[in-house]
Amino acid sequence: MRIWGSRVSFTTFAVTLILAATAVALSSTGAARTQPSLADDQTASLAAWDQIAEVLQHPRCLNCHQLNSPLQGDSRRVHIPRVVRGPDDQGVGAMRCGNCHNSMGNNPTSGTPGGLDWKLAPVSMLWQGLSSGDLCRAVKDPKHNGNRDGAALIRHMEDEPLVLYGWNPGKSREPVPIPHEKVVEYMKIWVAGGMACPN
Amino acid sequence: MITLKVNGESHELDVSPEMPLLWALRDRLHLTGTKFGCGKAMCGACTVHINGQAARSCSIMVGEAAGKTITTIEAVSGKVAEAVTQAWQRLDVVQCGYCQSGQIMSAIVLLTGNKTPTDEDIDLSMEGNICRCGTYVRIRHAIHEAAKSLA
Repeated sequence: MRIWGSRVSFTTFAVTLILAATAVALSSTGAARTQPSLADDQTASLAAWDQIAEVLQHPRCLNCHQLNSPLQGDSRRVHIPRVVRGPDDQGVGAMRCGNCHNSMGNNPTSGTPGGLDWKLAPVSMLWQGLSSGDLCRAVKDPKHNGNRDGAALIRHMEDEPLVLYGWNPGKSREPVPIPHEKVVEYMKIWVAGGMACPN
Repeated sequence: MITLKVNGESHELDVSPEMPLLWALRDRLHLTGTKFGCGKAMCGACTVHINGQAARSCSIMVGEAAGKTITTIEAVSGKVAEAVTQAWQRLDVVQCGYCQSGQIMSAIVLLTGNKTPTDEDIDLSMEGNICRCGTYVRIRHAIHEAAKSLA
């Protein structure tokens, strides 16, 4: 099942969640005073990251986290017509993002996708070619994530318009395959567990 | 009702905000100098200026353009526009002509922001305007000529 990634990682994640939830429930009822250990939190964080990585490496996110020109479509081919970053990440001359992409959203007639402030991700946020571990370390590094701490990263995933576009891409483009509310949950677990990253 | 400011005049249109601007320009306002090519922002035949940018009117929606300054090929004016159209005529750039209003609109935006474009600048800026007749060499030449006349 592509939606949930590998069965192994999902199973690991589910078991971890159940264990963590049980520990929290016992603790909150006073039936037992056992706290989830640091190791449990880190394991849950790592499992959550697996899900987050699947989202961030999806074409809806990765296509615009490129160096000079965005990719396009589910096949991740180079953007046609060719466009380049330019000094403000929004193109050059007569080839600027907003010339075709509407800030008010997708165009149902032309099929052109749209969203508020359509542009390439900043150079500091290049994700092309990164492994899951390297992507994880980049996402939590304030120098490479727009100077965001864990709470700000969660908010970014919750309500940033260009992030939300990933679940409403229009036309025949595949939306991000994990429901948005689940991704926000994974972000909270990942941050709560110390933003653990795979090697 | 949606208000469009086109070529210096305001027009009240009873249309969906999601209607492509090109539909409004051609079918409601009868400004047919702007052409329909591919209908999905891949050819540039429908290029107009919105707040001075080279917008593809088949993909920009009426609701997006509302309240902004829209200029079509029928009303381009000023030094840059004159330099471009004169260079176009002097070098007889046009072959069939279908794409040329879009080409000229993009060339004006390029030269407005860049007085001395290199070949690479021209390629990057004009990339979105396709010419089935293959007049690209003449287009590039005309843009250089227009730049010289503006210097």
